[in-house]
Amino acid sequence: MPKSFSARAIVPVALAITGFVVVCCLLLYSVMKRDMTRDAMQHAANLADTIVKSTRYAMLKSDRETLGNIIRNVGDQQGVEHVRIFNKKGTVMFSAASDELNHLVDKKEAGCIGCHSGPKPLTTLGKMEQARQFKNRKGVKVLAITAPIYNEPSCYTAPCHYHNESQKVLGTLDIGLSQEPLRKTLITLGERMAVFTLMILILTIGGVAALLRRSVFVPLQLLRSYAAELRGGSIDTPPPSLDGELKEVADTLHQTSRQLRESRSQRKQGDLPGS
Amino acid sequence: MTQNLENHLEETIDKSRDLDQLRKEIKSRIGRLQATANHGLWAMALFIALSTCALRDFSFFPSIPDEFQSMMGKPPSFNMISGALVLYSFSAIILTLSRMMGGSGEGSPFPHVLYLAAFYGFYHFAKGLDDNFWAVFAAGLTVLGLESYRIWTYSHDEIRKEQERLMELERKRAFWSEGEPR
Repeated sequence: MPKSFSARAIVPVALAITGFVVVCCLLLYSVMKRDMTRDAMQHAANLADTIVKSTRYAMLKSDRETLGNIIRNVGDQQGVEHVRIFNKKGTVMFSAASDELNHLVDKKEAGCIGCHSGPKPLTTLGKMEQARQFKNRKGVKVLAITAPIYNEPSCYTAPCHYHNESQKVLGTLDIGLSQEPLRKTLITLGERMAVFTLMILILTIGGVAALLRRSVFVPLQLLRSYAAELRGGSIDTPPPSLDGELKEVADTLHQTSRQLRESRSQRKQGDLPGS
Repeated sequence: MTQNLENHLEETIDKSRDLDQLRKEIKSRIGRLQATANHGLWAMALFIALSTCALRDFSFFPSIPDEFQSMMGKPPSFNMISGALVLYSFSAIILTLSRMMGGSGEGSPFPHVLYLAAFYGFYHFAKGLDDNFWAVFAAGLTVLGLESYRIWTYSHDEIRKEQERLMELERKRAFWSEGEPR
């Protein structure tokens, strides 16, 4: 058990403040990380929608060359890890990576299983459910969005090529964005929060310690030295200049020591004649 | 004269018996206080064991059937759980500090382990334990650390007082035994 008064006063305060500030910062970091990831997902979903809308005319015209060109150009963009369109059977029809073309996609992979877990695949998903996060073969963390390409009236009534009206989904666009910029931003944010937390802790604990030292520990030390001097026999030492309750204690000590000295001298005087 | 001596002897024996009884009581109180002083450490050890399971997202345990999960309904949102965690940490710290200030020995750290386990459980079912594990862990260390410190200092203060009483008793006992006729 800490014996000194200062340790007993500062330990619980330091523990309480440090713990609470750390808990709040960790929760704040977690909330901000979630918000930023959600924003990144929203951004990826918007990008996927933009690509689907940009390629719509080429699809209607069955212009495979233009469509392939658009997909390759999008795939060349910085931060885009992959972009592909696969048909209802899961065969990659267009991709920025030429080695993926005509390959079948595994329906059990993350991003596919969301719709294909049941006996009948789902045809609609929310924006957040369309997203998945994973590490690709290059070891880059990727945030991918799968956007279904729905069968619209203009698709199944177009003269150029014909789809059955009952077919709801014609294919899927899959786009993967690198999470490296988000990761870097989160690291910077974490570092700044850690520095900020440390500064708050130093200021708070330092402030409390300084106030305690000035108002309690130093006057107490003076009182202790004064009591030690009285115990050593230096009764004439004046009490230290203190305020409040500690002044009362110092005065009481001073008075008691004077009374003790007087009673001793009286006893000595009383003893002398008789001796 | 003989009667007086007998009375004095009886009184001395009675007092000696009372002192023995008192001594036993004080020693048993000291034993209880020593056991109480360690409650905080036991609670901390329990919490660390629980946190080890939580760090692996309770993968040791079999997963709860989907029917049961759907019966329980939708888990609360992350923000709600995090808000509750901040509120819990704040009130637990204030409660412990006020008990420390009042020099009260009331309260046990074990219910806090249960509350923290509930937070781990909520985050686990809301599928957010990975991101929020360290927040619950820091909250647990703070609350249980403070609670352990309070119980420990209180118990040691009380043990010191009991030991002083015991010393006083031993002095009285020595005094009475000196007064006994040899």
